[in-house]
Amino acid sequence: MNLGRRGYAEAVSDKLKLSFILPHAAIFDSQEVTQVNISAATGEMGILASHVPSVEELKPGLFEVIESSGTKKWFVSGGFATMHPNNRLTVNAIEAYPIDDFSPDAVRSALSEAQRTASGSGSPEQKAEAEIEVEVLTALQSAMGRQ
Amino acid sequence: MTQAAWRQFFSYNRYTAICGRATRSALKESERVKAERRGETSLRYQEWKDGKAGEQTSIKAQPKQQ
Repeated sequence: MNLGRRGYAEAVSDKLKLSFILPHAAIFDSQEVTQVNISAATGEMGILASHVPSVEELKPGLFEVIESSGTKKWFVSGGFATMHPNNRLTVNAIEAYPIDDFSPDAVRSALSEAQRTASGSGSPEQKAEAEIEVEVLTALQSAMGRQ
Repeated sequence: MTQAAWRQFFSYNRYTAICGRATRSALKESERVKAERRGETSLRYQEWKDGKAGEQTSIKAQPKQQ
């Protein structure tokens, strides 16, 4: 007698499935991970399996993925993390790089240039743009410092 | 400075693009060249009038206003 090919173990996966997608690359594509730490606009959050569904905007900041094989960290420029009801987590970001891919000198010079524009005599739009860059680069600096 | 003072000037899309641009500018030299290419956008438009196509104009978006 055919006992049905799908067992209970497959019906509900109890591990968090992460999809971490950028416009130009899929870093994680529905892969099982243990925990994901995000820097949400509402605060730092750790997401485990069976988290309540929610949508969180990401601040420019650290993004951490804890798998059975270890922990990986990225700096993301911003985006959204959407927790779905079926234990799936989708994280979309525009840019994400491992912290080691950043150069402290480049951060410092970009930050001082942005600060100069932000407090300079340009148009309000230019100053608003520069303020955003200051925010991103300051977050990057503190993320690099925490390493 | 309010939390989102930029809201009066541009949309969320532009905000995210600026964040991406700032992140790219802080990369190490080896990664940066590849990444900067992602920030470039260009636009080509063409005006139509009375069913006839006008000239095609190309605009290359400026990366940063100095």
